[in-house]
This record gives sequence, structure tokens and C-alpha cells, in this order.
Amino acid sequence: MAQILLRNFTRAGNAALLTKGTSCSSITGTSAEPGSCQLHTTPACCEIRKLARLRVVDNSDLGKRAMAEGRPPRCIHVYNKRGVGLIGDKVLVAIKGQMKKGILVGLKQKQRIKQPQFDSNNLVLIDDNGSPLGTRIHVPIPTVLRTILKEKTLAKGADYTKVLAIASRYV
Amino acid sequence: MNQADVSKLMSQLRIAVRPTKRNLKNPDGPEGRLLKLRKTVTALVKHERIELYYNRADEARGYAELLISNAIRHGDRHKATMELADYWLLEKQLVHKLFKVLVPRFENSTVSYTRMFKAPRDYPGMYYRKSVLELRGNPYPALIPDNSQNRNLLHNVLLDEARKEFRREKLASLANKLAAETENATASTIETPAQAPVTDPQSEQSKQAEEAPKA
Amino acid sequence: MNINVRILTKSVSQQYAFKRIVTFSTKPTQQAAVAAVPQQQEVTGPSVRKPIVPAHYRFVYPEFLPDPKIEWRNAIREKLERLDMLDRRRQIELPEFYVGSILAVTSSDPHAAGKTSRFVGICIHRERCGLRARFILRNVIDHQGIEVVYELYDPTIQKVEVLRLEKRLDDSLFYLRDALPEFSTFDENMEAEPLEEGAPVPINDIKVVLRPRPWLERWERQNLLGVANIEQYIKDKHRKSAEKVQKPWEKFDLMKQYRATIPEEEQKEIFAEVHTELHTLELQRKRNKRKRTFVKPKHLA
Repeated sequence: MAQILLRNFTRAGNAALLTKGTSCSSITGTSAEPGSCQLHTTPACCEIRKLARLRVVDNSDLGKRAMAEGRPPRCIHVYNKRGVGLIGDKVLVAIKGQMKKGILVGLKQKQRIKQPQFDSNNLVLIDDNGSPLGTRIHVPIPTVLRTILKEKTLAKGADYTKVLAIASRYV
Repeated sequence: MNQADVSKLMSQLRIAVRPTKRNLKNPDGPEGRLLKLRKTVTALVKHERIELYYNRADEARGYAELLISNAIRHGDRHKATMELADYWLLEKQLVHKLFKVLVPRFENSTVSYTRMFKAPRDYPGMYYRKSVLELRGNPYPALIPDNSQNRNLLHNVLLDEARKEFRREKLASLANKLAAETENATASTIETPAQAPVTDPQSEQSKQAEEAPKA
Repeated sequence: MNINVRILTKSVSQQYAFKRIVTFSTKPTQQAAVAAVPQQQEVTGPSVRKPIVPAHYRFVYPEFLPDPKIEWRNAIREKLERLDMLDRRRQIELPEFYVGSILAVTSSDPHAAGKTSRFVGICIHRERCGLRARFILRNVIDHQGIEVVYELYDPTIQKVEVLRLEKRLDDSLFYLRDALPEFSTFDENMEAEPLEEGAPVPINDIKVVLRPRPWLERWERQNLLGVANIEQYIKDKHRKSAEKVQKPWEKFDLMKQYRATIPEEEQKEIFAEVHTELHTLELQRKRNKRKRTFVKPKHLA
């Protein structure tokens, strides 16, 4: 029972909640785990926090396999002071029994005006130096990432701009 | 900052509209509230003047106004308006009254269709404020006395004085005319001197009588 | 002289006694009260305004109508906002569009490579009023659903093109988020499909196919017209709970509707204020369009 509750809690992060007022009451969850019961005791959380499920959108071997198996990575830490992942933030994810780092490149959460809001929470896996594990991102990424990642590169020392280099398309 | 609903078009009400509705304490929720107000609106259309608690009257007033204004706007051929009338008027002969009596009565009206007055409440009794709600142009005697004819009102005093002034001037001119005629007559015939002392006290009296209402 | 006056006053006062105009009393005069009502009726209704504003203006320019919430009304702010909106409309062509139309918005974007970004998508929602009017565009690009919120009077917007002007059956199309992706997929290089001048805006009665549950919202409760297969995925319990939350009495709640709308007289006033300006802008736009369409083939030839 505890496991079921835990699983449901984790799916809360993935719940696509774009409108704050209307959708908080709905029975939500992704179809990542077919057959699991849809029990919710709390309104769904719209944010990337610890234990939120993410979607890997690059073509790294690890990410592809994880997504194909239907066991998407879950966020186990957000590298910022707030604990809530925003676009361009680095997160630590648990993927196929390993711990990997990744960058959030698209969120379901409400975004600012003119900034795109995606239907899934997208993640690009990177290694410790900031270079991506894959060689291509197969979904569009927001243009704000250019600025954000450049700033982060300067601040943190690791080179995150390599993620931009493998992007196929900007929105 | 929500967009206004543009699917419907309504006429402006000539009454003060509260920003929010009153819930009118009903166990059946918003539907029960409407069912309750339906009775009030029906009674208002039927009796044209009703006495009831203030809150309920104020709520029902808006619905009655809108019902009449919709009936004026769309007429009896409009299906949605007919449905509205059917819902709001519990006695169906009142639907005829709405379209055949009230619509012609209020068609060219520039003021609100209803009036509402505060009514006194019974002293040892319920605390709620009471009110009288009525349709304009009802056959009952007016509730508020018409004081515009009060003679102590300033405009009436002034009008009165003006009238008196006018009369006095007219009399003077008439008298002048007559005097001129009599002078002409005396010039021709010498019979008049006896008349003057006789009429003198009479004219004095009439002058006094005229001054009495002034005081 | 004086004597003569006195002679006559009596007879004259008798003559005039029954014609005394006013009988003063504090009692209400019955006749006056009766006469008051027909006098009111004689007065003709509110005089008709000179500029005749087309009836469809409230659908084309809904953002010119203020928020009907009484507490938030402020005549001066509304007026200033309208002036600002007209100012913006003089600078940029903001065409007529509806929920369900396909738009392409070009906006300046300091993060993008060419400093501008263009997004094509279907308008799924329009909200807010005045300068804050905004709309949401949705598209599926590379199998990834993307939505962008734009403010209509945002000064960074460079161009708004209507690629296909049409309406849908519902007032907002949030259900496209739960529909199969092909229903919100639109080609980015789509050509504009011009509508004949004066033709009514067509209503696209396409029925969208939803994905199986779970959904983002309980669509079965919202009486949607543009959804084909909602029955397929709901069970009896959903049907029952949907029935429970229906509010069939709301169409009779006149005051609720009144509080949600701007009354006609006020709308007339507002549109009379902006009508001439909007009309000249429209004409100008039409002229420019005609010029463009005329010039193009000559250059090619």
C-alpha cells in the first residue's frame, strides 16, 4: 500500500497542469504506468520537485532505453535554492538504477508570456562537465535556454552550451 | 480582468445593481434561491404591489426588471424569452399579462419599471427590514404623497406672488381704461358725482379681502 | 383715479373669482399624479446615436469591452486603455480572429538567433480585456505539443497573421490538450487562406477525438460540442457525477447573465467612441491588401 501511495505521489509531478484554477481537482497522472490505480489524496503538484517523473528527449542510449521500458527517470534533486525546477535548471535524476544529471528543457508548468509551455516535462541528460550524453534533441527547445544556459556556464564553470549545440529546433 | 460575455445582449437596468447577489439562505443552494425568487416575481406581476422583506424584494426586483426588459426587447415571438417568462411566471395567465399589458405599458418608459420603498417593520417582531415593491403605473393610490402643491414650498410662494402681481396689473389697466371712459362720459353728461361716495366702502372691503390670503 | 379703481375692483374680482388658477393645499392632487404617468410615456426613448456601429463589433473586438465586474470598473482607466489600444492598432495590424482560427505570430525575441521568432498555431483561448487581452496558441511540433501565450497589445509583437479564419463549436479549445496530436498539428509554412470579403466567418464543425483517460480536466462535465468520442471513455459513475454538477437553472438566472455582460447601451457608447478610428484602420488595411495582391503578379511577370 505504501508503495502504491508513493508511486502516485511521484506521478503528481508529471501531471500536466497548465491551468491553475481548473485542473487541480482532476484525476491526473501520466499513462507511464498502465494498470496502476489512480488514487489521489492531494491536488496534483504542477512543479518539478523531488520524485517528479520526467521525459528524456535526447537520443542517449540510456535515456532511450529508459523511456522505451516505460520507466521514465525521476527527479531526486533540483540544483537550485528553491527546490523547484524551472527551465534550464540542473536536476539529478534516478534513471535505470543510476544517478545522472540533466537539464530541464521544457516544462508543463505555466510559463511567462511568449515562452512556450510543453505538454511534457522534458529533460536532456548531461555528464558532470555539462556535455550531453546524446547527440541530438528530437523536440523543439525554448529559445530562452540560450541565454539561461550561457549565464549558467559563466557562473558555474561547467559548459552547458553544448546542450544548445545538439538541439534540432528552437521555439 | 475577464472578458465580458458577448453572446448575450441585455438592456441596461435603471435601478442600482449590487455587485454581488444575495444568497437568501436556502438549503437547495442557487437553484432553491431562484425557485424562491420566482414566487416573488410572479406575485409582483400578479398583484403589482407587494410587501415583503427588503433583501428578497431587492433581489427579485432585478429579475422582474430584466424579465420585462427582455420581453420588450424580443417580443413574444422569441423562443428564449418565452421560456424565460414560462420559468419566472408560475401562473401561466401572467405570461399573457407580461406581453400584452406590461410590455405596452413600459415600452417607451425612460425610468425603471419597478419602484421599491422601505416599509416600517412591526415593533415587537422580526428584525428584518421590510419593503414595498411595486410596478410603475399600477392602479393603486400612490404611496408617497405628492407635495409639489404645498403652498409653503418656495416655488409655490413665488408663483403665487407672481400671479397676484399679474392680476393687480391687469386690474389697474382695466380700471384706467374704465376711468378714461367715465371721464369721457362726464364730459358729455353731468350725472356722476353721486356714485363715488357709495362705492367707496365696498371697494375698501374688496381690497381687504384680497390682502387676507397674502397674510 | 384711485376711486375709480375701487369702483371696479369688486366687480372684476367677482368676475375672476371662479378662474383663480391655484387652489393651494397640502393634500396631493389626484389629477396631477394621474397625469404624471402619461407624461413620462410621451417622452421618446433615448435618442439614437449618429455613428451606426455594426452589431458584430462586440465579437470582433471583445477586448474593447471592460470587465463587467462592478468593483473593478473605472471609467477613466477604461477610456485611457481604449486610447492606448487604438494607438497600438495604428502601429500594427491586429486582425480579426476567433477561438479556432489559425494564427502566425511574429514577435521580437532577444534570445532567438534572428532576434525574432514566429509561432504558428491554433488559437485555443482568448481571455482578459483591455490592454491585457491575451490569447493562447497551440501547435504540435516534432510530436511535441507546445502552447504559447501572447498578449494582443504586447509592443514586442511584430506581426499577427490570420492563416485560416474560422470558428469552432466551443468557446475554448482546451480539450485539444487531451486530443490526439493530429488535431492540433499545423504546418509552420502554411499559406494564408484568404476569406472572401463580406463572407461570414465559417464555423468548423470538426469533432475532435480524445485520447483515453486520464484527462487533464473532466471533459464529460463541460457539455463540449466539438468532441466526438467522450462517451467511449466514461463510465456510469462519471455520467452520474457529471449530471450532478450540471446547472440547468443558470440560463434562467437573468441577474447572473446581466452581471457577466456589458449592457447594450454601454456597449454602444464604447464602440461609438472607437468606431470611426477602427473603421478607418480596417479600410486602410483592405486598401493595402488589395495593393499588395495587385502588385505581386506584375513583379513576377
